[in-house]
Amino acid sequence: MNTAIVSEAVAERHRDMPQDTHRVLLPVAWVLVGISGVLGIIGLVWRFTGGHADADYGSYVPWGLWIAAYVALVGASAGAFALAALIFTLRATEHYRLAVLALVTAFAAFAAGMVNVWLDLGHPFRAWKLLVDTEFGSVMGWMAWFYTLYGVLLLVGLFLTRTGVVPMVMERFAWVAFLFAFVFAGAEGALFGVVGARPLWESGLTPVLFLVEAMLFGTAMVLAAAVVFGITDRSVVRRMSIAILLLLAALLVLEWSEFSTGLAASVPAKEEAIETILFGDFWWVFWILHLGVGVLVPAGMLLFGLRRDDRTMVGVAAGLVLAMSIATKLNLVVPALAQEETDGLAEAYTGPGLVYEYFPSLMEWMVWLGTLSLAGGVVLAGRRLMGDWLADRGPGEHDDGGSTSEVEEIEVFEETI
Amino acid sequence: MVRIAAKENLLVRMQREVQEALDRPTRRWGMVIDTRKCVGCHACTLSCVAENKLPPGVVYRPVIDQEFGTYPNVTRKFLPRPCMQCDEPPCVPVCPVGATWKRDDGITAVDYDQCIGCRYCITACPYSARTFDVGGTYTADTVAPQPYELLPTYEYNEVRVREHDGEASPVGNVRKCHFCLHRLERGELPMCVTTCIGVANYFGDLDDPSHLVSEMAALPNAVVLKEELGTKPKVTYLV
Repeated sequence: MNTAIVSEAVAERHRDMPQDTHRVLLPVAWVLVGISGVLGIIGLVWRFTGGHADADYGSYVPWGLWIAAYVALVGASAGAFALAALIFTLRATEHYRLAVLALVTAFAAFAAGMVNVWLDLGHPFRAWKLLVDTEFGSVMGWMAWFYTLYGVLLLVGLFLTRTGVVPMVMERFAWVAFLFAFVFAGAEGALFGVVGARPLWESGLTPVLFLVEAMLFGTAMVLAAAVVFGITDRSVVRRMSIAILLLLAALLVLEWSEFSTGLAASVPAKEEAIETILFGDFWWVFWILHLGVGVLVPAGMLLFGLRRDDRTMVGVAAGLVLAMSIATKLNLVVPALAQEETDGLAEAYTGPGLVYEYFPSLMEWMVWLGTLSLAGGVVLAGRRLMGDWLADRGPGEHDDGGSTSEVEEIEVFEETI
Repeated sequence: MVRIAAKENLLVRMQREVQEALDRPTRRWGMVIDTRKCVGCHACTLSCVAENKLPPGVVYRPVIDQEFGTYPNVTRKFLPRPCMQCDEPPCVPVCPVGATWKRDDGITAVDYDQCIGCRYCITACPYSARTFDVGGTYTADTVAPQPYELLPTYEYNEVRVREHDGEASPVGNVRKCHFCLHRLERGELPMCVTTCIGVANYFGDLDDPSHLVSEMAALPNAVVLKEELGTKPKVTYLV
């Protein structure tokens, strides 16, 4: 590729960067991060002073909001990472800025996901045992190492990006990272898929479902962040929107497949779990939050936004998909656990945690908000740290704090090609 | 038909058999629960709570009250549910740090100091036999803990005194029935067996066909819960 082509790509990027919506969205993002951060700190203090006694999960429903958030965030992270790796693998130089943004958001989501699961542990300060005393017969043991490797990959990727050598390194090895992200996202599904005691989870579709959700949430996260940061050239928005639409369709197909066969098979344990999702006390989580706000509304907004070239609308749609990822994962985690394995067990002996109902406690909500704040803060801080790549620039503008001009950026591209 | 020595008390016989089994190099503990004799008094549940100093929300042996049929043709049954001590326990391979394992004597044990409290094993148990110790006490929000809450527990032959509002293990751990391992190794029967007012529990070495528990487990009306899962429970029910 020569300078002219790169210049054309950069020029197109600027030509297609129309709205200044991001200049409004950024301060809003900071405010949201600040508010949820304060709530999160209070929740964190609560968590460590009150322990798990103030959480609503317990013995019969042992996992709740934090585990749902963890799988949603880590999945989104893997999806964003795969997207970045794909861009580098395909040497789509015009999208490198987006790839770096994807790396930053992947790291942010991963960090927040890890904090969620760490706080969920009964003994969080024994987490090191996962690496020292790993039991490799357990999927979770494997995942502990996957997370470690993934975290290192992310940090190395971000470091290399900051030093400006990422295109050269990533173009050659990004396919490995892409494959890793795929395996990683699927393996996370295997964490649930191997649990034979929970018929809703034990399915060959579970890892596939996790993979599709990871790509969906990751792409939505990057697109939403791109709109906030003003990286909204037409081709990026168009391609990512179409990808999200296709992934939403795939998600619906998988869910239909899982639910329809589960109900038709009439295996009571699985049937009851699916009925809990569709018609239980929290039916609205599936029908309104997941299917409505998380799938159909964003799909409509994406189609409408694409037609009218309204990138703000597309960004909001992506944000809705991302926000409702927690509803999607809660519907996976909780209903499977909220089924009595032996009829009458809930009445046999009562006590805290010996119930099959679950709704996150205030402490759980606050901690969760805090982890989202952490993710948002990392992305916003990443914008400063990765200023050379993510600086909010318009035609003829200089970086706000960065040092590399666009000419230098083009030179970096040229050196690597 | 099972022949039981007429003049030997069942509990005395089982205790003798436990002590005999301890003299052998290997054994495989098992339990048979005669649901026809269980009256649902919950004495086993409470004696277990007392023996193991179980806090609120932690239970090893609930007794499930089950009703069958429609009025006036109704039957009521009681189903005590300890840990099944499966020969193929689904809870063991999922533990990411090897904190729970199957002992040679067939008991599935938990290392409280190794457990990180991830609760993956709870999700994997098809019998809900594991509970999570969130750190509660019966005297929470009162002036002071009562003396009984400060007594040590001897689970797994380890002496542990529960700290009031503390976070030391077993707080934050997953806990389960272990057939009162600490009593067994002293030649005593599990507390639930000793306490049962109707002697509805039979306990001993399943590898010894002369043991009462083996005779009972071989009866044609002996069943295990969720046999189709292939977990091979070592707790059998007479129905």
